[in-house]
Amino acid sequence: MGLEQKLPEGILTTNLEKLVNWGRQNSTWPLLFGLACCAIEMIATGTARHDIARYGSELFRASPRQADLMIVSGRVSNKMAPVVKRLYDQMLEPKWVIAMGICASAGGPFNNYAIIQGVDKVIPVDVYVPGCPPRPEALLYALDKLREKQGRETFALYQRNALADAMVGPEGIETLDTLRAQEAVR
Amino acid sequence: MLKVSPIHRQYEVLPSLNDPSIPAMAPMPAGETADTQRIVERFGDGILAAGVHNGQQIVYVQPDQLLNLAKFLKEDAELAYEALIDVSAVDCSKLPQPLNGRRFQTVYQLRSYARKQHITVICPLENDEEPQVDSLTSVYQGANWPEREVLDLMGITFVNHPDPRRILMPAHWPNHPLRKDMPLGGEEVPFSFTWGDPEFETLGKQVLPAESVPPEVPPGMSRENMIINMGPHHPSTHGVLRLAVELDGETVINVDADLGYLHSGFEKTGENKRYKDFVYYTDRMDYLSSMNNNLGYVLAVEKMLGLEIPERAQVIRVIMSELQRISSHLFWLSTHALDVCGTGMSLLMYATRERERILDLFEMVCGARLTLSYIRVGGVWKDLPPAFLGNLRHLLEILPAAFDDYEAMLTDAPIWRERLEGIGHLSREDVINMGLTGPMLRGSGVDWDMRRDVPYCGYENYEFDVPVRTAGDCYARYEVRMAEMRQSVRILNQAIARLPEGPYKTEDRKVSLPPRAELDVSMEALIHHFKLVTEGFHVPAGLGYHGIEASKGELGFFIYSDGSGVPYRLHVHGPSFNNLFAIAKMCKHHMLADIVTNIGSIDIVLGEVDR
Repeated sequence: MGLEQKLPEGILTTNLEKLVNWGRQNSTWPLLFGLACCAIEMIATGTARHDIARYGSELFRASPRQADLMIVSGRVSNKMAPVVKRLYDQMLEPKWVIAMGICASAGGPFNNYAIIQGVDKVIPVDVYVPGCPPRPEALLYALDKLREKQGRETFALYQRNALADAMVGPEGIETLDTLRAQEAVR
Repeated sequence: MLKVSPIHRQYEVLPSLNDPSIPAMAPMPAGETADTQRIVERFGDGILAAGVHNGQQIVYVQPDQLLNLAKFLKEDAELAYEALIDVSAVDCSKLPQPLNGRRFQTVYQLRSYARKQHITVICPLENDEEPQVDSLTSVYQGANWPEREVLDLMGITFVNHPDPRRILMPAHWPNHPLRKDMPLGGEEVPFSFTWGDPEFETLGKQVLPAESVPPEVPPGMSRENMIINMGPHHPSTHGVLRLAVELDGETVINVDADLGYLHSGFEKTGENKRYKDFVYYTDRMDYLSSMNNNLGYVLAVEKMLGLEIPERAQVIRVIMSELQRISSHLFWLSTHALDVCGTGMSLLMYATRERERILDLFEMVCGARLTLSYIRVGGVWKDLPPAFLGNLRHLLEILPAAFDDYEAMLTDAPIWRERLEGIGHLSREDVINMGLTGPMLRGSGVDWDMRRDVPYCGYENYEFDVPVRTAGDCYARYEVRMAEMRQSVRILNQAIARLPEGPYKTEDRKVSLPPRAELDVSMEALIHHFKLVTEGFHVPAGLGYHGIEASKGELGFFIYSDGSGVPYRLHVHGPSFNNLFAIAKMCKHHMLADIVTNIGSIDIVLGEVDR
């Protein structure tokens, strides 16, 4: 437009938010972290045929301090939940979470004593991917969805801590039973 | 009245819905063999019953004679049951007449490699409230972890066990989940379309605190030395395995494995699902070899049913099983090389290239890449599609050259040899005593392969070698697995040649669904269809163990049926679980970096370790 025509070649104008979002969208580094069956499909996504490098996400970081994205790939057991939570806490802002597969999204076929019914009971989730396990293409689609979400983020609205806090109920844990008990009292 | 066995087994509230004969004890074994005769002669009244049941030698023993019997079985030259394969337990409290009124039974599977014999020892325990039994760890080292698993999930105390801790559940877990008075657990699923319902109020709010519990120093470790924590989030532990490692400088003094980070309650779930519905769960145990898991479970059920499988289905099963073995070994090779060797990333790309081709074939037959559920009770799900064989032939032409490529990259590579040779050494006595199976066994000079020695699925009709190496180190196991892939190609070529025409599943309408066309003309077919879909098939009361040679070792399923459509007790013997037990022995007095080599060499899948 007007200004850019007057500038020398090779100079673009944009606003800082868009520039930062562009950078984040194209270099979202996942945490090198696999739980169950879905982790195998996650590895398959990383290899040559599906090539997650097209998204700038091929660099799976083993340290949560260097990762932007946690792909929860598999069922989360009662014993694993504190570990998942701690890893999420150790990741630096900004950070995103993909719940890969039905187990991480809602417990899947494992509705029993051992498995937590969805990782969103422990950490906030940005994108849910259905499937058991999702195909690599589905995971790549989830990355697309995540990029859309990253592109919409603004500095003013970007308060993930506040969002995460808002997800925690006043009593910490709310279950169906406690809610029904409250209903009964009312 | 309609005979329906409820999924949630509420015998107390729904007694009239069940066939009165249905919760039935497994019948006592009948007849005798040379082995049981010898045992009865030696122990007399100490043996409650002995004989054959479902083609399997079974001995019921008094708890005070269990330890002596184990010693006798192992040391007697004519019996020579060298290895304890599996330990499990049954809670009989929901059965009509528990044996002599006793609630718990422990079940042991023993194997003689030299004589190719298998025997099951069952020991009914005396005390219902605080059941306890002698630990067999003094006789069989490999009893250690399986006994801890029984202690954890069933609450049976093993006297004189060297390390009586929980193994799968968190240390502060309040109960023993596999006991029959414990519910399956889980949560209610909201099925509501009204947003005002209380179910939806909790949506997105049920955040659990998930507090970390400070870890304890494992027994036998001293704070004087450095104790480091490896996992459950570690790139080289192949899943969510946690190792507490005690170090002197860089030398490992002690390793303690902490399991259960992926414990998913498979056994309890299986005891609440119909037989046909558990096939889908087996995929998710060893998710690198779903076909083998399907096959192991299905064969165990078929053994209890006494079912004959058509020849074509048998050959299709062999094809799938061997393809899966190659794909699982390829994944092992690529991740192992990634951990250990400088050329890792490129090998990962190459090996997954071939693996993807195998997954394409699987996708062709069943539509899935990983969780396949293709092998079903009675046969396979659908017949092979027309394009399958051509593609398989093409793949079999490519594979040997691909294996040559990998071997060219690794077999004589100095880094690879340096890091594998002499590392993780296990002697022949060790592997047998620890109850290890699969390539772990064959890498240490035990010439044993379930496909050849206890044939199933018609494996006796194929010509193949069982690769055996005697070095017992990681390099020997690497050689064994590479040779196994080549043998699998050989079996596959023979299977294609002998694939007959015919039905791909059994014609027994009590087990397999009638074809759609039959439903239009036959009332009988309609009834069979209805019965199968609503309540599944019933398995005669009894018990059985069936093991197959999966890619990682012997995968066994122990089923205790009470005659209904749901297994009363379902126990899975995962090869990774038993093989991982060797990690402490393999890592001691080696360098810290060799732990990674050893984990890769054992080839674990945590879904199967933790189940």
